[in-house]
Amino acid sequence: VPHSGSSMNRKKDKGFEICINNINFQRKSVIGYVELTIFPTVMNLNRIKLNSKQCRIYRVRVNDLEAPFIYNDPTLEVCHHESKQRNLNYFSSAYTAAVSAVDPDAGNGELSIKVPSELWKQGDEMKVMKVYIEFSLDQPKGGLHFVVPDVEGSMAERAAHVFSFGNQNSTRFWFPCVDSYSELCTWKLEFTVDASMVAVSCGDLVETVYTHDMRKKTFHYMLPIPTAAPNISLAVGPFEILVDPYMHEVTHFCLPQLLPLLKHTMSYLHEIFEFYEEILTCRYPYSCFKTVFVDEAYVQVSSYASMSIFSTNLLHSGMIIDQTPVTRHCLAQALAQQFFGCFISRMSWADEWVLKGISGYIYGLYLKKTFGVNEYRHWIKEELDTIVDYELKIGGVLLHPTFSGGKEKDNPTPHLHFSIRHPHTLSWEYYKMFQCKAHLVMRLIENRISMEFMLQVFNKLLSLASTASSQKYQSHMWSQMLVSTSGFLKSISNVSGKDIGPLIKQWVDQSGVVKFFGSFAFNRKRNVLELEIRQDYTSSGTQKYVGPIKVTVQELDGSFNHTLQIEENSLKHDIPCHSKSRRNKKKKIPLMNGEEVDMDLSAMDADSPLLWIRIDPDMSILRKVEFEQADFMWQYQLRFERDVVAQEEAISALEIFPTPASRLALTDILEQDQCFYKVRMQACFCLAKIANSMMSTWTGPPAMKSLFTRMFCCKSCPNIVKTNNFINFQSYFLQKTMPVAMALLRDVQNLCPKEVLNFMLDLIKYNDNRKNKFSDNYYRAELIDALTNSLTPAISINNEVRTVDNLNTDVRLILEEITRFLNMEKLLPSYRNTITVSCLRAIRMLQKNGHIPSDPSLFKSYAQYGHFVDVRIAALEAVIDYTRVDRSSSELQWLLELVHNDPVHYIRHEILSMLAKNPPFTKAADSLLCNEALVDQLWKLMNSGRMHTFNFSPRKFLWCLYGLNPSIYQSYLGQKPKQSPSLIGVAMAPLGLKRKAETPLSSSPEPGQVMQEEPSAKASVKSKVSNLL
Amino acid sequence: MADSVVMGSGSLNSGSRSGSSKTSTSPTENYQLARRRTLQVVVSSLLTECGFESAEKVAVETLTEMMQSYITEVGRCAKATCEHTARSTPTLSDVVVTLVEMGFNVDTLPVYAKRSQRMVITAPPVTNAPVIPKALMAGQKRTHPTYIPSHFPEFPDPHTYIKTPTFREPVSEYQVVREKAASQRRDVERALTRFMAKTGETQSLFKDDISAFPLISSKPSAIPYLSTLLPSELELQSLEETDSSEQDDQTDSENNPSNIIQDDQSADKENIVLPPGGVVPTGKANEENMIDNPYLRPVKKPKVRRKK
Repeated sequence: VPHSGSSMNRKKDKGFEICINNINFQRKSVIGYVELTIFPTVMNLNRIKLNSKQCRIYRVRVNDLEAPFIYNDPTLEVCHHESKQRNLNYFSSAYTAAVSAVDPDAGNGELSIKVPSELWKQGDEMKVMKVYIEFSLDQPKGGLHFVVPDVEGSMAERAAHVFSFGNQNSTRFWFPCVDSYSELCTWKLEFTVDASMVAVSCGDLVETVYTHDMRKKTFHYMLPIPTAAPNISLAVGPFEILVDPYMHEVTHFCLPQLLPLLKHTMSYLHEIFEFYEEILTCRYPYSCFKTVFVDEAYVQVSSYASMSIFSTNLLHSGMIIDQTPVTRHCLAQALAQQFFGCFISRMSWADEWVLKGISGYIYGLYLKKTFGVNEYRHWIKEELDTIVDYELKIGGVLLHPTFSGGKEKDNPTPHLHFSIRHPHTLSWEYYKMFQCKAHLVMRLIENRISMEFMLQVFNKLLSLASTASSQKYQSHMWSQMLVSTSGFLKSISNVSGKDIGPLIKQWVDQSGVVKFFGSFAFNRKRNVLELEIRQDYTSSGTQKYVGPIKVTVQELDGSFNHTLQIEENSLKHDIPCHSKSRRNKKKKIPLMNGEEVDMDLSAMDADSPLLWIRIDPDMSILRKVEFEQADFMWQYQLRFERDVVAQEEAISALEIFPTPASRLALTDILEQDQCFYKVRMQACFCLAKIANSMMSTWTGPPAMKSLFTRMFCCKSCPNIVKTNNFINFQSYFLQKTMPVAMALLRDVQNLCPKEVLNFMLDLIKYNDNRKNKFSDNYYRAELIDALTNSLTPAISINNEVRTVDNLNTDVRLILEEITRFLNMEKLLPSYRNTITVSCLRAIRMLQKNGHIPSDPSLFKSYAQYGHFVDVRIAALEAVIDYTRVDRSSSELQWLLELVHNDPVHYIRHEILSMLAKNPPFTKAADSLLCNEALVDQLWKLMNSGRMHTFNFSPRKFLWCLYGLNPSIYQSYLGQKPKQSPSLIGVAMAPLGLKRKAETPLSSSPEPGQVMQEEPSAKASVKSKVSNLL
Repeated sequence: MADSVVMGSGSLNSGSRSGSSKTSTSPTENYQLARRRTLQVVVSSLLTECGFESAEKVAVETLTEMMQSYITEVGRCAKATCEHTARSTPTLSDVVVTLVEMGFNVDTLPVYAKRSQRMVITAPPVTNAPVIPKALMAGQKRTHPTYIPSHFPEFPDPHTYIKTPTFREPVSEYQVVREKAASQRRDVERALTRFMAKTGETQSLFKDDISAFPLISSKPSAIPYLSTLLPSELELQSLEETDSSEQDDQTDSENNPSNIIQDDQSADKENIVLPPGGVVPTGKANEENMIDNPYLRPVKKPKVRRKK
């Protein structure tokens, strides 16, 4: 590895010019050149290192002189072939080393260019150097994605397009550059494409010029705002163009025929623009903005300088309800990242949390403004629950890692099976959690310094950056456009004058969340509430919390906030109560929000004035609270506390109190149309659970049936549902959810009650959407989900083969509906094929419960390339489930084949992550699937760098299968060096596994069967098989 | 030309007449046949008079038809002429006027009538004048009110203006309607999908009985997002229907006269305000011309460098 002193490699980019003069869709190749202008900042610059992957480089010239170069990409083979060790720790450290070796922030790169000796003198005089690199790209596996539909016609008629994509800084996949977020330069971009195509890229489109033969045109872009290479993108295709009717400098692009959808979807964008510009008191930093909607996108949203690339599947017509908020969320996220992430970049990877935090935080403000406080608080709770669950399960998430000395031994996160040193070594899921935590921490900072100061800080960052960006000839000023943790914190203390050091130390410099257990007793003599708050700070993913905590106590006389101090050794806190218990006086009870309500107090404890207690109601600590209070207190909290978070907490707590009082409280909430609809939806499922627990004492019709009838059925004939009218979205969501929850009801025989099943079949039968303004595809899909939920395992005798004749009558009805729905979908496809997705899930459930023969072939046909992505995912999920239940090695092979070869990156990634979620076997249970060939295959997959943008997925899967230090393959590998590599598979495999390879089991083995077929089989094999069953 | 017109209208007339005498029973037919036969005799004798010895049946028939048409037309015109002068019974002068009108020289008629070779034709056999069968009595036949003279025609039969519903009461009960709509749709869907399944490739859930629950096989498409994202024609159609019905409702309320009278001014204001918000598409074409967006600018021609 040539490494001639990294200190010699200091340089500063100034301008960057990229020109792609040929894009061949047929061969999926790209030819072009780049020209960098470099200011050497050190004497004697003799080597220039750049990042480049998978590009073929033809020639390099420095100031018109041919320059020799060396290309070396260590991530292509992370662990050397002859290496002895195979465990994830070893891989992880090797991989981190490989990524570090080409890290642009450390002045490294895959491409090392030797500066011609003639120019060394010039280097002494610090003169500008121009580096010119000609390159081509053939069938790229990452960086650029070609979509070329296999139909007749020209490329434009076929809607062929290409776009850049990647995880973090992956621009090196499509052109040589300094692939770092902290290296800014100005850009000049040129793309020559077919005359029928449009090339959309960053910056201003200066002009479009035909080539001499008039068959192609060249798009010239200028980006005068200093921008990092990872924020550069490109999309080329026969796009339809829509100029935003409200903002003419904003242009939207979509694939042919989708223009009506684009018009509808984008009719809203200007409001998001206005919102952000208003709260940040800053204009959108770029002079134009472009949105491009592409097929086969790897992620829903990706933001680049002055443009965002979205998945085409976000487009929708005005008839679609469910997709609308999802798409708007995506637009808002993309726009937030334009300010923080694209315009303002980061100093180093350790500062990433600031960008993600701020963009996530202002996105949250947008949610609050547009969708309301309830939605916002619900979202915060959801995010908090997600991050808490992840950290408690997997381990802490560290926002601001510091690496002292750069040695891997000082790994700040030893609990993880990957290194968090580089964005590329991270797990995808970890990064999602990282973003989630980042915006939650921003919210904590807001709690401390107030929103006003918070927005002032953002404004300061933006105005400094925009001043710096206009300094064309003073590139040292450009560092103002990079945010760092210390700079951000300094800005906060300057603006607010407050010290948020402890907060940062707790949540940013340290990983983990807080786990509280709370309980209380009421001391009647002293009229004092004795609250005990314990912490678990020894388990993985937890940390100790010391500091203030807010407790809200609702008493008869009103609601009172108390701030307690959590200290090292104090567990108990005495809180004096304001009211004496008095039950007979009839008086309205004041709530937190000033409202006064009548309550039926007969349920509460006669001696206590306490109605309910909440710990940390504002979610100002990243915590999980397990609080014990009596069932009636949870019921009061559900009915009368106006905060949706409290209501949701009460609902989840009531699950373990199956009493008529809980039932009544939940039913009342369900009926209240002033209550937040998501709370009501959650209440449906809780009610179903309670009803099942109360099965023997339940009186009246099945839970929710009469309620549904009253709300959604005709007055004159209660068994017929009204014709659909979804104009009221709250009741639409409730109408969708209730049947799904009802289908979870079970009778004494643990079957779905006949009455409920018939009710659902009637809902399907009488569903009538003719008069509706909106599509009912999501509603119908959920009715199918309801049918799926109603399924219970078939009673089978002697494991008979499933035939049509012995089909249960109820199941026959269900199957008929599903068949009809699935067939109708072929004639009249629904939006996003929601109905096919639900049908596939239903069929898998029928198979799994033994009603119909288990068979993956149907799912495999739906999993093919060419079906809508949601359908493929649903089908693959079913195949993966089949693989696990039936332990089919051929299906597992088929899946891994897809991981290798599927054209859609998202699908390849999803297969592995679904396999990791639902692994075909685990470390604990021996499985016939578990053999060395599999390990070998996965190892190769992650070792080869084939996975490019999502190289983490195979590791995650392997980790789910074997854990960090996989003993199962260590047993093979321990002896490996003695064997020649080609023989390992056969020679080392234990007997049981070898047999399996010869006679693959096609169907699930029966214990008896095995005994008969293999009377001589070793006891270990038998126990293995019986373990599986 | 004139002949054919005469003929046409004549036959049409006779047709309508026979149509109007609704009940064409056998006596009427006899009566008409007898008249027709007489006419035929007349035609034949005229032919003989002209010196023909024999004629084909078709020829005679045609001439008879022409004769009948001619006479009918004379009658019709005479009637019309008389009614034009507010009388109800035609007189000789009416007939004369008609004949003149039809281009016939009336003066030649007496001479012709008194010609020597004239053949005398026996009067047609006395047949009973057709008995107009009694119309089905429906309701009370109305007499003239006092202010209408009695010589005016009588009222037509009551059945021509009395409503006599003959259909069954439609089922309007909500439950039944919904029930019917639901089962109808289900039947159509089932039949359609079964048909599609039978005529195309299928996939099956059961190995033993492939025909049970046939699933139309899934076919990958080259551009899967098109059919899944774009609303189907059916959905668009129903959307248009609901939209137009809504619009109808709006225009109805706007056209409501009381509204307009009550607040004329405010209605005017609304009309002024409406266009920018409501009618975006029409104004847009103009707008777009004004928009300066780099993607809308024309593509430049390449610079020709050869001249240098």
